[in-house]
Amino acid sequence: MKKVPLDGIRVVSLGTGGVVPDCVKILGEMGADVIKIESKQNLDFVRTIGWDINAVPGFNEINRNARSFGVNLKNAAGGDLVKALVERSDIVTENFRAGAVERLGLDYESVRRIRPDIVYLSSQGFGKTGPYSGHKAYGPLMAAASGMLRLWAHPDDPYPVGSTVPIPDHFASKHAVLAILAALDYRRRTGKGQFIDLSLVEVGANLIGASYLEYTVNCRQPQPLGNRSPYAAPYGIYRCKGDDQWCAISVFTEEEWRAFCGAVGHDEWTRDARFADTASRLRNVDALDALIEEWTSQREATEVMNTLQAAGVAAGVAARSADALADPQLEHLQAFVEVDHPVVGKKLYPAIPFKITGMTFSESRPAPLFAEHTVEICREILHLPENEIARLVDAGVLEVAS
Amino acid sequence: METECEGALAGYRVLDLADVKGAYCTKLLADLGAEVIKVESPEGDPSRRLPPFAGDIPDLERSLPFLFRNANKLGITLNLDTESGKGIFRQLVQSADVLVESFAPGFMTGLGLGYDALREINPGLITASITEFGQSGPYHNWKGSPIVDIALSTDLIEAGFTEGAPCSLPGMPAYDATSVMAAISIILALFERGSTGEGHYIDVSVHQNARLAIYPWMVTLHSYNRTPGGPEPAPEIRMGAAVYPVYPCKDGYVRVVTLTPWQWDALVKVIGEPEVLRQPEWREFLHRVANAAALYDIMVEFTKHYTMMELFEAGHRAGVPIAPVADLSDFVDSPQTKARGFFLDMHHPAVGKFQYPGPPYKWTETPAAVNRAAPCLGEHNVAILCDRLGLSRTELAALRLAGVV
Repeated sequence: MKKVPLDGIRVVSLGTGGVVPDCVKILGEMGADVIKIESKQNLDFVRTIGWDINAVPGFNEINRNARSFGVNLKNAAGGDLVKALVERSDIVTENFRAGAVERLGLDYESVRRIRPDIVYLSSQGFGKTGPYSGHKAYGPLMAAASGMLRLWAHPDDPYPVGSTVPIPDHFASKHAVLAILAALDYRRRTGKGQFIDLSLVEVGANLIGASYLEYTVNCRQPQPLGNRSPYAAPYGIYRCKGDDQWCAISVFTEEEWRAFCGAVGHDEWTRDARFADTASRLRNVDALDALIEEWTSQREATEVMNTLQAAGVAAGVAARSADALADPQLEHLQAFVEVDHPVVGKKLYPAIPFKITGMTFSESRPAPLFAEHTVEICREILHLPENEIARLVDAGVLEVAS
Repeated sequence: METECEGALAGYRVLDLADVKGAYCTKLLADLGAEVIKVESPEGDPSRRLPPFAGDIPDLERSLPFLFRNANKLGITLNLDTESGKGIFRQLVQSADVLVESFAPGFMTGLGLGYDALREINPGLITASITEFGQSGPYHNWKGSPIVDIALSTDLIEAGFTEGAPCSLPGMPAYDATSVMAAISIILALFERGSTGEGHYIDVSVHQNARLAIYPWMVTLHSYNRTPGGPEPAPEIRMGAAVYPVYPCKDGYVRVVTLTPWQWDALVKVIGEPEVLRQPEWREFLHRVANAAALYDIMVEFTKHYTMMELFEAGHRAGVPIAPVADLSDFVDSPQTKARGFFLDMHHPAVGKFQYPGPPYKWTETPAAVNRAAPCLGEHNVAILCDRLGLSRTELAALRLAGVV
């Protein structure tokens, strides 16, 4: 069998919530052995968003590929077992509450004494240092604190409301993967590990980095643009036929404008002085958008998209999951992978989204049941005898799947 | 061009032919220490024309989106339609580890600079192609844009107020998300090359990657909700105001997360335990979501008496996560931002001195660093083409006249 890129790399993950699990899930897909440290005393709250701790969709998505090691960290013997795992690992990730890993003796300074070349990533809402480092943070709050939410609104909205989508969690988890891979490659070349302190709010600020320059260079607060562009028209989300159906359209060049007018059957718009060039169209954007919506609102969103794309104009429906599943391009790219989970059965999950020639990835494995792999890890990695494992389970140090 | 602190990727050389789709990818690599040479046509990367501009003066050196995503890179100009331009490019490829490009599928091959041709010059080369829809497949010739890509990513339909149009995210999140994924694939390929010596070709589409690095759960949630005999799939509508409510306060707005009953109890405590909120049904998350409008009207009467920072700190003490809906000055001036030194001093020949948002992580051994502002058009032509490749100044002048650089 061909080697997977992170073959032989082991991760101990002291991670709950979204960012750290999603990060190590990807390392797992690349072939790393990911050990998620879990405990009934301090259950990953994502396991509790549902009726069965082993059947939560979000949990089961971002905890794929991991093995679950159930251990009571409040017990000194439990802490020692985790330290023994860390000693046999390459990467530690954590997002525990401020001060927690220090109390457990699992902070970077302690860990590097037992594993000097460890790559250790800490992910905190406001970062590991600074006056707010102890403030609890969820992604949606980091969108707010980073300034991003302030700009995420239509110009006439009463206040910015954002979305149910927890931005920037998934953007942050990918920065964590990137950082860990770069640190691993540095360690491959130099033998040196290090500590990486990731701040979610700073990830959010990078998403609107150009807006920050508008403030620091031009000394003014940028205003929310909603779906409009300062340099293109038509540009926006247009209502289509049906209930809450929409299609995005964007036109940048005069060639695209002529193609657009042809495709919607209004060649006369190309001769309308209000729409003579981009600057004119931007000045008359309300009139333009009203005319376009007259056309789109009589058609299915998919028809609008297909008609315009056939004419060489960028257009895309405001997709729901059913649209993504019916999307022939995503099917061609094999964007979703079916994974069989012992409790919930076969479900769809996002696949590794890029293709690298000559590189094999691990087959995606289901998220672990709580404490599913405790005994297996004790045998394989810690080489504990069976009677010792049984004793630790009885003493409540180790937790096993019920 | 030596820097004081070397980044984790120091020693790697990256050729950057990418437009705005991949600009954040090569910036990420540069911030970690790779040498990134941005190769532009003599007219300049089209994204140099993106507003807003420094001082509102439209100019190739003053585009703020360009200045943000191209810091830390060296810049040269090269006309790849000319034979001399291609020749110089092949020379650069010989000593490069990575090439990132974002032309339409087949364009580089049409120039005679496709992956197969370049790997003959440099078998260890890692080439990443970033396109809107991928190198092949039914949509591979389709066009995308920031708003179209976000719409297709499934991240748009749930954004904004329930009644209005979906509201696009600020910035260019689909491109930046794709860029992070592309950077991951490149570093993974470099890591693997360390043991095999082999180069790789990487195909990255915005269509597939944007959803991954913004919010990838929609299809998974849908597939869980499709269990035969199970509950109906949840409607995919705009519920942000109900789930993560935003409340006005004295000097702005706060956003509140109360997923658990005890977080709710803490919130009630923070705003003074008003009797109207102590009815037990409000402790139920689903009840609050279903009655969000009524709850909003009640909450406003209490939140309006506090400042953003009072609620932020009181929430922290009581155990309910509350965050200010910061505007950009709030974030720049925040003691947290200042304590971490997030904004960096930057100097650019056309723009002057300004504050630049730094990388979102601190590294102990190999600091992530931004050592120079985005390059002016052709700023490093002499340094790269003459000092490194050995062209004379006269030859460079002749190439300029011939439209090659």
